[in-house]
Amino acid sequence: MFASILASGLAAGAIYALVGVTYNTMFSTSRVMSFTAGQLAMLGGLFGSMFTLKLGMPLLAGFLLTLIACAIVGIITEFVAVRPVLKSLDQHLYVLSTLALALMIQQVAAIKWGTEPQPFPRLIGWGSGVWDEKFWLPVVACAITIAGLEYLYRRTLVGRAFVAIAEDNFAARALGLPERNLRVASYALAGVIGGIAGFSGGELLLAFFANGALLNFYGFVPVALGGLGNNRGAIVGGLALGLFQQAANFLVGGIFSSVAVFALFIVVLLARPQGLFGFQAARRV
Amino acid sequence: MGVSRRQVLLGSAGAISAATSILPKPAIAASDPIKIGFPAAMTGPSSAPTIGFNRGVTFAVDAINAAGGVKGRMLEVITRDTQGDPTKAVNATQELISQAKVHAIWGPFNSGEALATTPIMARAKMPNVHPCVVETLIDPAKFPNAFRLAPSNNQWDDAVRNYCLNILKVKKVAVIGDTTGYGVTAVGASVAAFKKDGAEVAYQANIDATQPDMTPDLLRARNAGAEVIVVWSVSTGMEARMFNTRAAMGWDISFVGHPSMASGELAGLVEKPENWKKVYAIGYKSCSYDASGKLPAKSQDLVDRLLKANVSVKDTLLWWIAGGVDAIDLIAKAVEESGSTDSAGIIKYWNSLSKYPGYFGNYAFSPTQHNGYLTEEIVMSEASSAKNGTFALAPGYT
Repeated sequence: MFASILASGLAAGAIYALVGVTYNTMFSTSRVMSFTAGQLAMLGGLFGSMFTLKLGMPLLAGFLLTLIACAIVGIITEFVAVRPVLKSLDQHLYVLSTLALALMIQQVAAIKWGTEPQPFPRLIGWGSGVWDEKFWLPVVACAITIAGLEYLYRRTLVGRAFVAIAEDNFAARALGLPERNLRVASYALAGVIGGIAGFSGGELLLAFFANGALLNFYGFVPVALGGLGNNRGAIVGGLALGLFQQAANFLVGGIFSSVAVFALFIVVLLARPQGLFGFQAARRV
Repeated sequence: MGVSRRQVLLGSAGAISAATSILPKPAIAASDPIKIGFPAAMTGPSSAPTIGFNRGVTFAVDAINAAGGVKGRMLEVITRDTQGDPTKAVNATQELISQAKVHAIWGPFNSGEALATTPIMARAKMPNVHPCVVETLIDPAKFPNAFRLAPSNNQWDDAVRNYCLNILKVKKVAVIGDTTGYGVTAVGASVAAFKKDGAEVAYQANIDATQPDMTPDLLRARNAGAEVIVVWSVSTGMEARMFNTRAAMGWDISFVGHPSMASGELAGLVEKPENWKKVYAIGYKSCSYDASGKLPAKSQDLVDRLLKANVSVKDTLLWWIAGGVDAIDLIAKAVEESGSTDSAGIIKYWNSLSKYPGYFGNYAFSPTQHNGYLTEEIVMSEASSAKNGTFALAPGYT
């Protein structure tokens, strides 16, 4: 039982963590919590299934096309749901605009791919039981994505520009950084991360239009637990959430596991409103 | 005493109305078509059954009209696409009753729509046959016009219980459903009925259909000593995960339950084809083939006629087509026997049917029983054995 909790908990947790990082990536350059993060992951599964199973493309080509398609959806999100409301961030209109776009994506997915889960191919064919690839693949994908992001943010000029925008938008613009282009690029990057989450978790979650709403919700929890904009917090929060959820599934059953998860979530937020890894921003008065 | 103009007018009106009320009504106008309303989800995610029903409807109407109609009157089907949306179904029903002035309605085909339209049809005393499973849709006192052509959920439940207890001869069952309203209600009813029949419900659960790993629940069911797992869910994703988990656990146990376990989509969702074995979904005698691959003679006759008329049976279920044929036949027969399209006559005829021989099954209605399908005609099918819309009988039937 312990092995099962670890295997499925870490797998689900890695997917939640990647969706959390998707939220953060979009947030860092726009200060917008875009509720399309879960839908991007959902599309990762559906595009992956379509390219590799229905169209019969080789795995690598299918994977790359999935990431490109998700990146395009990310860019569309920036143009359609984020850019028009940036001037009035304090009114939080982005909640409506991104939620509306998320619903549109979900409806279009239901019309295009149907309301029943679609099969997802076996990607590598390694492992069985608790070592089945459907359990370890999301964890590996999460680790590689985080390593890639760390490299991007610390070692590349574009990555440092992202960080600069995230740290202080006005100062970055004063230094001549192309804030708008960087924001579009960050949304494309978020699309890629969401696509990786959906593709690597496709064997576990199947290619299913309803996964979008689920991942929107469970992907938001690690962001809130870890602290908004904090990727390391999102990773720890996501993995902890997955493990706790699976442990609750085993110990108290499916229906009550959601209650247990959100009870813990509320307790943590009551104790640390800024998240476990967040910090209170000092404000000059 | 003088007679006022008002009194003259009132007296004249009374005399005219008295005279006309005793005039004989004209019999059926021989050339008027018999209009059948067909509010159905022709498009959208829940359109699969309608596609099958529609083939049966078209086939039956063409056959009756080609033979001269009903006492010279042609059948005319007036279709309205509800897209599976109760609001659109309500609008379509109202339009069919008040504008198109149909004589009977076949449909709608999902319970959500039927829950919204049944009271409207009852108010209009509109003869209605439908195949929806929700119990409350049939109530001869509240809805004397509504007749069910397919089993109710309780009849499914009875058939599943009968298979588990009397054919598989198990004593300890696990009952699992999803967390939808349907899943919770069906699990509750199934558990209560199993207990009433003396079986031990070793494990019961409602699982979120998107839960990625079914190991926790199947482990608990196994540890509780379950000998069969009864499933009440329409989620093929959840069902596939359960079948895959059973295989991963190396657990040799049967799944019995909801017809969705025989859905063709499961072929792509299970990790290996053998994971879909020992799964027995609700089916029907009329649409099941025996060990030698033969359908009942009457069903084979229908299939032959359908194929001769170029009606495809490969990408749908035979019971949907057969149900469509039966519905049209029932309406046509009611008009023929009652001698008119008057709703009271049609309803009276249906209420008199003690064993009407249809293709999908035999139907028995009475003024107090509008669940027409006979429970003994419900059987379990080998879920993975689909062939031209029919299934192999599950083990244990002779």
